[in-house]
Amino acid sequence: MITHTARRGRLILAAMTATAAIVVTVTAVTVSGRSPGHAFPQLHPAAAPANWRHLTLPNGTAVLSYPPSLRPISGDKVAVSAARLTARGAFQLYLNVTPRQGSEQLAQWPAFRLRLLRSDTAASARQVAAAQGVKFRGGTGSCVIDRYVTRIGGHHFQEIACLVVGRISASVIVAAAPAAAWTQARPLLLRAVAAYLIR
Amino acid sequence: MFTHARWAAGLALIAALAAGCGTGAGLYGTGAKPAATAHSAAPMPAATHHHHHHHARPVHATVTTPPAPATAPAQTDNPIPQGNGGDQDADNNGGPSDGDGNI
Repeated sequence: MITHTARRGRLILAAMTATAAIVVTVTAVTVSGRSPGHAFPQLHPAAAPANWRHLTLPNGTAVLSYPPSLRPISGDKVAVSAARLTARGAFQLYLNVTPRQGSEQLAQWPAFRLRLLRSDTAASARQVAAAQGVKFRGGTGSCVIDRYVTRIGGHHFQEIACLVVGRISASVIVAAAPAAAWTQARPLLLRAVAAYLIR
Repeated sequence: MFTHARWAAGLALIAALAAGCGTGAGLYGTGAKPAATAHSAAPMPAATHHHHHHHARPVHATVTTPPAPATAPAQTDNPIPQGNGGDQDADNNGGPSDGDGNI
């Protein structure tokens, strides 16, 4: 009888402990609204390494720094882009800076970017992480990390896209890579974003 | 005795099911806005330069482009499709999206 009582007590105690642990975990995930590991990374604004190259926006209001493994590519006249492509022309790394052209605002930037992707070039897009009040060299930005699938070709990309407001201008910097290569590309792309200079 | 044991087992089962549902929603729920806040508490400056919409896109009157392929190219290695539509941006060809305002 004593043995049975003790076993029953242990069972109840174990069940209650497991329940408490599970409830705490579920609550933490639910309240945070995201799964662990999806926090926005720290960006530390700093000048690019000495061997990096630079592209200045045609209007002179911002400078994109990119590593020597990338090459400038053509795009909009008002914008600058650099990329690393495979021999077959596939994008491995992509950087772009464009002056603000639409109704982008810092507070609504993540939603704006996802809406733009879905309405323009992406068959689908989803947010991974976002941050407000991000410090840049010469300004402050709102950033979103998202994944999308292009309408043409069904290519999967992941990007960090920031709307940055400086003293006299505002512009958008995009750093992207194929989603499958994001983990490898991420440090370099974040370094390029952190080196972005706006006036 | 058995009543309590069954109660305990049932409680554990319910808890396990609840955990499974909760974690799945956190990982894959598309409605959630995973807005992690920033590392900086600095206030956001007001956006003072609100450019007007619908700037004209650059016009490329003499752009030379290869003929559009009759069929869609294979998608095995993320190639840039050669149709080169729109304003010749990468994102009009299946490449990554640029930062324009879709104008």
